[in-house]
Amino acid sequence: MPQVPDTTPEKRPRLRTRAAVEAYAMLAPSILGFAVFLIAPIVIVVILSFYDWNLLSDPEFIGLENYRELAGDERALKSIGNTFYYVLLNIPAQTVLALLLALALNSKIKARNTFRVLYVLPWMAMPVALGVIWRWVFDPQYGALNRFLDLFGVDGAAWLTDSTWAMPVIASVNVWQFTGYTMLFFLAGLQAIPAQLYEAADVDGASPLYRFFKITLPLLRPAMLFVLITSVIGSFQVFDTIHVMTAGGPAGSTATLNYQIYLESFTQRNAGYASMLAVILFAIIALITLAQAAFFRKRTTYDFS
Amino acid sequence: MKKIPLYLVLIAGALLSVAPYLMTLNAAFKTKQEILTSEPWALPANPILSNFGEVWSRYDFATFVVNSVIVAVAVTVGQLVFSTLAAYAFARLDFPGRDQLFWAYIATLMVPQIVTLVPTFIIVRELGLVDTHVGLILPFVFGFLMPYGVFLVRQYFKTIPESIEQAARIDGAGTWTILWRVMVPMAKPILGTLAIISFVNTWNNLLWPLIITHSESTRVITRGIAQMQSQFNQEYHLILAASTMALLPLVAVFLAFQRHIVRSIALSGMK
Repeated sequence: MPQVPDTTPEKRPRLRTRAAVEAYAMLAPSILGFAVFLIAPIVIVVILSFYDWNLLSDPEFIGLENYRELAGDERALKSIGNTFYYVLLNIPAQTVLALLLALALNSKIKARNTFRVLYVLPWMAMPVALGVIWRWVFDPQYGALNRFLDLFGVDGAAWLTDSTWAMPVIASVNVWQFTGYTMLFFLAGLQAIPAQLYEAADVDGASPLYRFFKITLPLLRPAMLFVLITSVIGSFQVFDTIHVMTAGGPAGSTATLNYQIYLESFTQRNAGYASMLAVILFAIIALITLAQAAFFRKRTTYDFS
Repeated sequence: MKKIPLYLVLIAGALLSVAPYLMTLNAAFKTKQEILTSEPWALPANPILSNFGEVWSRYDFATFVVNSVIVAVAVTVGQLVFSTLAAYAFARLDFPGRDQLFWAYIATLMVPQIVTLVPTFIIVRELGLVDTHVGLILPFVFGFLMPYGVFLVRQYFKTIPESIEQAARIDGAGTWTILWRVMVPMAKPILGTLAIISFVNTWNNLLWPLIITHSESTRVITRGIAQMQSQFNQEYHLILAASTMALLPLVAVFLAFQRHIVRSIALSGMK
C-alpha cells in the first residue's frame, strides 16, 4: 500500500517522539494494570514459592524446601494425576463430538440455526448454578438420571460419592457445557474451506472418508490448534463445578491441581506451598501449549487467499 | 429419508442440551415434597411461586443481583475502553518496545487465574480493597481478562485498511478523532464480542468473589448460590429456584441476541 509521506526528513525525530508519547498515553491505563495485576503477581508467586507463609505473619525464606516437599506429598501428586485424568476424559470427547456436530450442522439440513443455538446455550450458563443442577440430576435417590435408569430396571450408581464415577461425571458436565461452543470454531473453519476442492475431489471420484481425511481434516488445522490450546488451558482451570458438586471428594478423587492450590492457599493458608504448586501448574500448561504449537507448526499450512 | 437418523441424533443431542434447564425451571415451581417424590420431568401438579419468595426473603437475593450487575457492567465498560485504547496503540502506532510489550501481553494468556490468585489477593489487600466492589472489579478489568481483550481488538484493527485512516488524517483528523470516529464504529462487531465475553465471564465467576468478599453487602450471585448449596444441600426447592433466577437473565439475553452471539463467538477464534 502506498505510504503518504507525512513529514520532511528533518522534522521526523520530533514527530516520532510525539507519536510515542501519544501511544504510551493510550497504553498507560492498560500497562499500569498489566504491571500491577499480572506481571507483579507472576513475579510474586515465583518468589513466594521459596517461602513459608500463612498470609498473616512474616514470610520465612526456606529455599527449595517447598519443591522438595512436593516429592513426598501424596495428596498434591494425586491432584496432578487427577488433572491429567480430567483432561484426558474431557478433551478427546469434547473435540470429537464438536467436530462431528460441526460436520452435521455444516451439511444441508433443516433448522440449522435452531440446532446451533440450542447446542451453544449451555456455554454461557453460570457454572455454579450448573453444578447445583447437575448435582441434583446425579443425586442417587432423587436425581433425574437414576430415576430415568429405573424405568429400564437399571440401578444407577451413587455417582458423586463414588470415587470411580465422580471424576467422569465432572468431566461429562464440562463436555456438556462446551461441546456446542467448540463446535462453532470448527464450523467457522469448515466454512472457510473452498468448495472447489470438494468439487475436484468429486470429479476424481473420491470417497467421503477420503474427502474427510485428505481435505477437511488437514484444512481444519488452524481451527484445531485454536480449539485444542484454549480448551486444554481451560480444562486445567476447572473450579466451580468441582467446588459445588464434590468439593474435591470423595477421598480426593476430584481434587485437581487447580482445586488443590485453592485449598492450600485459602483453607490451609499455606501460601508459600500453594505458590510452589501454582508454579508447577503454570510450567505444565506452558509445556503442553508449546508442544501443541510445535506439533501443529511442523505441518504444512495452506493459504488460499 | 436418508437423513432421518441424523435428525434423530441431532434432536436427542439438542434435548440433552436443554433438559437440565427445563427440569430446573420445572422443579422451581414444585413444592419441597413434590421435588423429592415426583419424576423430575413430570410437570408440577399445582405450580407454586413460593420457592422464589422464600429465596428472596431468606437471603438478600436482591442485593446479590444488584452486586452482580454492578460488577459485570463495570468490568465490561472498563474492558471496552482500556482494551480499545491499548489495541489501537499496538495495531497502528509506532513506538519503542511495542512488539516486545505485545508479546508479553500474549504470553500471559497462558497464565491461569489460580496462578496469580494469592499475589492478587495480597495486592488488593494492601490497597485496602478487600470486601469492596472496587476490589471485585479492578483485577478483572486489568488482570484476568485484559490481555485477551487487547489481543482480540488489536487483531481486528489490523484487518481495517490503513487507507481509511490516512484519508481521515489528510482531512486533518488527529489520532483520538480517528480512533473514536473511524476505528471504533468499524470495529463494532469485535467490540460486541468483547462485551459479551467480558460480561459472561464476570457474571459467572466464582473464584475471585469467593476469596475477596465475605459480607452480605458485597456478595454476588455466584457466591450466594455456592453458599446456599453448602448450607442447604438437600433443600432442592430453594437452590433450584435460586439457580433458575441466576440462569434466566443470561438465557434471555442469549435468546434475544442469539444470531449476534453465535457470530461473536466464531469471531473470537479468528486469528
